[in-house]
Amino acid sequence: MKMLSAISLLALSATLALAASDRVVTVKTTVNGMVCSFCAQGILAHFKKHPAVSNMHVDLTRRLVLLEERKGKSITDEEITDYIKKAGFEPVKVERLKESFDQAKAG
Amino acid sequence: MKTLGIARCRGMGRLRKNAPACLFGFCDLWETLPPRPVQWHLFSQLTLTKILKILFISILLAAATTAPAHPVAFDGASQLMFGTVGSVQTLEFYRSYSARAAVGLHAMRFDGEEDEIFTGLQHNWLLKRWNLPSAQANVYAGVGAGLAGEVGQGASPAGIGFFRADYETRRVYTAIDAKWVESADVSRGVFSASAGIAPYEAEFDQLNTWLILQVEHVTGMEDKLDIIPKVRFFKGPYFLELGSTLRGKPVVNFMIHF
Repeated sequence: MKMLSAISLLALSATLALAASDRVVTVKTTVNGMVCSFCAQGILAHFKKHPAVSNMHVDLTRRLVLLEERKGKSITDEEITDYIKKAGFEPVKVERLKESFDQAKAG
Repeated sequence: MKTLGIARCRGMGRLRKNAPACLFGFCDLWETLPPRPVQWHLFSQLTLTKILKILFISILLAAATTAPAHPVAFDGASQLMFGTVGSVQTLEFYRSYSARAAVGLHAMRFDGEEDEIFTGLQHNWLLKRWNLPSAQANVYAGVGAGLAGEVGQGASPAGIGFFRADYETRRVYTAIDAKWVESADVSRGVFSASAGIAPYEAEFDQLNTWLILQVEHVTGMEDKLDIIPKVRFFKGPYFLELGSTLRGKPVVNFMIHF
């Protein structure tokens, strides 16, 4: 009986983990210095090469870079801050949102 | 007749400046043409492809002067800039190997009593950047080495240096630039100050428009000071400035990142 419970628990954990990894995550990064779209092209250039990023949006008014992760893939906070610094800007805060990419984009 | 091209290039004032093959000292194209009457040169000896190539280079370079200064772009970016402002034409190509440094080619032409050219390699640094919540300010500097001289008169080793500082919000733009070219025969300084406003706050994927007033002085030129109202547009990786000096000389600047 104990054996059966352990197997059930293991199966449940695996299912939950799989579901979590399949979830599409929206990542919101607040960026300082992003006042010119021509100068911010580097942000687009860097993130569009990352295999985990399926969609991105730069919002100059709210000073945000929004990323949508591909199902089952992830981009780390370190990669995000590194890319933004390589583009010449200052990342302030990286947050992973529960809302969808479109909801976050709409504000 | 072998010297016909040279005679046209060196001795005919405005014609020299308008002759496509003579821009940026490409007078050699004329010199190598076989002896023919002047009117035969371009049309009988050059193929259509060559004429189109010359036209393309001419348009590119005729559009070139103090190009829009963006000495360092983002890490891994290439940037091509060319422009023409008053009596100075510039063509620049840089590769940014980090967010703070770029290396590339720089060519300048000064249209004076004796036209002068500089071509060389240049290294640019972003010395300091302030990334503020709603603004950005930058200080750049660069040095380079190459050759400079009067058109058709040979060239001697030359040095170039520049300094630039700018401050920008989404509605306000200010910048000061100073650039020097020195060689045995050429000594020029280009100094400018710019201020502009954006009539609206454009988003990342929208067309950005700026109204800018630039004041520029080139040492050794007849025109002491050029006042240049211009309009700046950019969208995506493309940047274009159009304007005119108050004396009526056209101002065109173009830049692209890739």
